[in-house]
Amino acid sequence: MNSENTAQTEGSHGYPRAATLELRHVRKLYAGAARPAIEDLSLTVPAGEICVLVGPSGCGKTTAMRLVNRMIELTDGEILLDGASVLERRPAELRREIGYVIQQIGLFPHQTIADNVATVPRLLGWDKGRVAARVRELLELVQLPPELAERYPAQLSGGQRQRVGVARALAADPPLLLMDEPFGAIDPIARHRLQDELLQLQARVRKTIVFVTHDIDEAIKLGDHIAILREGGVLAQYAPPDELLAAPADEFVASFVGRDRALKRLALSRVGDLTLLPANGAAHGATIDPDTSLRDALSLLIADGDRPLAVRDGDGRVAGLVSLELIRAALHPDPAR
Amino acid sequence: MIAAAEPVIPDFGRGSSCVRENGTFCWEWVRDHWGDTLRPALVQHLLLTLIAVAIGFALAFALALAAHRRGRLTTPVVLVTGLLYTIPSLALFQLLVPFTGLSRTTAEVALVSYTLLILFRNTLAGLAGVPEEVRDAARGMGLTRRQLLWSVELPLALPAIVAGLRIATVTVISLATVAVFVVNEGLGAPIYAGLQQTFKTELIAAGALCVALALAADALLVLVQRALTPWTRVARSR
Repeated sequence: MNSENTAQTEGSHGYPRAATLELRHVRKLYAGAARPAIEDLSLTVPAGEICVLVGPSGCGKTTAMRLVNRMIELTDGEILLDGASVLERRPAELRREIGYVIQQIGLFPHQTIADNVATVPRLLGWDKGRVAARVRELLELVQLPPELAERYPAQLSGGQRQRVGVARALAADPPLLLMDEPFGAIDPIARHRLQDELLQLQARVRKTIVFVTHDIDEAIKLGDHIAILREGGVLAQYAPPDELLAAPADEFVASFVGRDRALKRLALSRVGDLTLLPANGAAHGATIDPDTSLRDALSLLIADGDRPLAVRDGDGRVAGLVSLELIRAALHPDPAR
Repeated sequence: MIAAAEPVIPDFGRGSSCVRENGTFCWEWVRDHWGDTLRPALVQHLLLTLIAVAIGFALAFALALAAHRRGRLTTPVVLVTGLLYTIPSLALFQLLVPFTGLSRTTAEVALVSYTLLILFRNTLAGLAGVPEEVRDAARGMGLTRRQLLWSVELPLALPAIVAGLRIATVTVISLATVAVFVVNEGLGAPIYAGLQQTFKTELIAAGALCVALALAADALLVLVQRALTPWTRVARSR
C-alpha cells in the first residue's frame, strides 16, 4: 500500500508525476431520469494510488469515472485534479492529460498499432522522432514485441489489444489514468496475467489510477483503496482492501465482499510477513516458501492434519514454523499490524 | 420517325467487304471511325460522367455530414433524393429543357440527381457504422469533433463511401447515353445514330464501349479503395 507521496520518478523512463484526484459533493442527474445516477459523492484519490470503484451494475461507478474527464458533464459539485477544477478546462485538452482505457478498448481499426499508440502525442504536436521513440518505449513497457508496431488491431489477440489500449493511454504520460472494466471481456487466465502486468507497470510508472470493475476479487487484487458504491452512487465504504475485508462497514458491504472475506484477507498476506514460530528441530508437516499466501498456508494446514508448516528461506534453511493459531492471530492483530 | 430519319448509306464504293455487305459487326468500320466518331464520343461520355459524379458526391457528402451531425435531416434528404431517383430519366431530361435548354447543363443536372440518393445513403451508413467504442475512445483521448470526423469516422466510412461511388458511377455511365436526347454528346450519340440505320456496327461498338467504360471505372474504384483501406485486407488472427 503506497502512501500519498506525490510519486516521483524512478529509473530511466522519467515518468514525472501523478495527480491527486478529488471529487467534492458530485451529483449527476441524467436528463429525464427520475433519480440521480449519483446523489452526492465525495472521494479523494491520493497521487500514485490505484482506486478501484466497485459495486453492482447501476451503482454509478462508470458514471463517476466518466465525470472526471468530462465524457459526462456533472450536474453539481466539483472535481479537482491537483487542486484545479476540471470544469475550467476545455474538454478535449483535459482529456489529452488523462489516460482513458475502456472495456472494448476502442483501438482505431484503420491505424497501425504504432499510430494508435501515437494518438495523443500527435494531438499534442510532438515531433516525429519523439513520437517514434515514445511508441517504441511504450510497446516495451507493456511487453509487446516491437514487430507488432506495424500491424493492425485486427491482427492482434484480445490480450495484446488490451495492452495496446494501456500503452495508448499512457502515451503522453498523463498524471491520471481512467480504466473502465479494462479486463472484463478477457478470458480469466489472460485477465490474471494482465492484472499482474498492470501492477508491475504501476510499480514503474506510479500513476493515479481510477479503475472501475464489478469484480470484487479484481478490486482486492489491484486496489490501494477500494470504493464500494451502492445504487445512486452512494459511497458504502472507502478503505484499503485489508480494512474492507476485516471490517465491512455494513451489511451491504459484507455481502458484496462475500462470506469468504476472511479467506480473501488471508490471500493478501504472505507467510514471510508473519513472525514465525521458532523451529528448534520440532516435528513439522509440509515445507513452504515465504511467498506462500496465508490462504494457501491455511489450506495446507487443514489438509495436512494440523501439523505446523516449515517455512524454508532462500538458502534452504528452515526459518520457522506456521501454525493454525498463528494464522488465526493474523486475522485479529491486537492493536495494529 | 423512320421516314424522317436520313438513312446513312454506307460508302459502297470504298468500304470493306464487311461494310458493303452490311455485316453484323465490322472491325474495319471501327478502325476507320475510331478517330472521328468513337473516341470523341468516349471522351465526352467520360467527362459527362466525371462531372456528374463529382458534383453529386460533393452535394451528397455535404448533406451526409450535416445529417450525421443532425439526425433529423436524414428523412427529408432521403425523401427528396429518393423522389429524384424515381423520376424516369427520359422524362427528367425533357422536364429540365424549359429551364436549362438543350444543353450539357440539362444533362448534368439530371445525371447528378440520380447519384444523390446512393451517395448520401452510403456515406451516412458508413459514418453510422463506426463502432461506438471507437468513437468513445477517440473522444476520451481528446480528439475534437472535427478530428474525430476526419481522422477516424471518414477513414472508417471509406469502404461504404467507395461502394456508393461505384454504384453511382456505373449508373451514370449507363444513364448518360440517354442524355443524347438533350445534348448530342457522349456514347449516346453513336448509339442513337446506330438505331437509325440498318448497319449495326456503330450501335454495337458504342454500346460495347459504354460497358467497357463502366467496367473499367468500377475496377479503378476498387483499386483506389484497396489502396486507401489497407486495414480491411489484413488477416484476422482471432
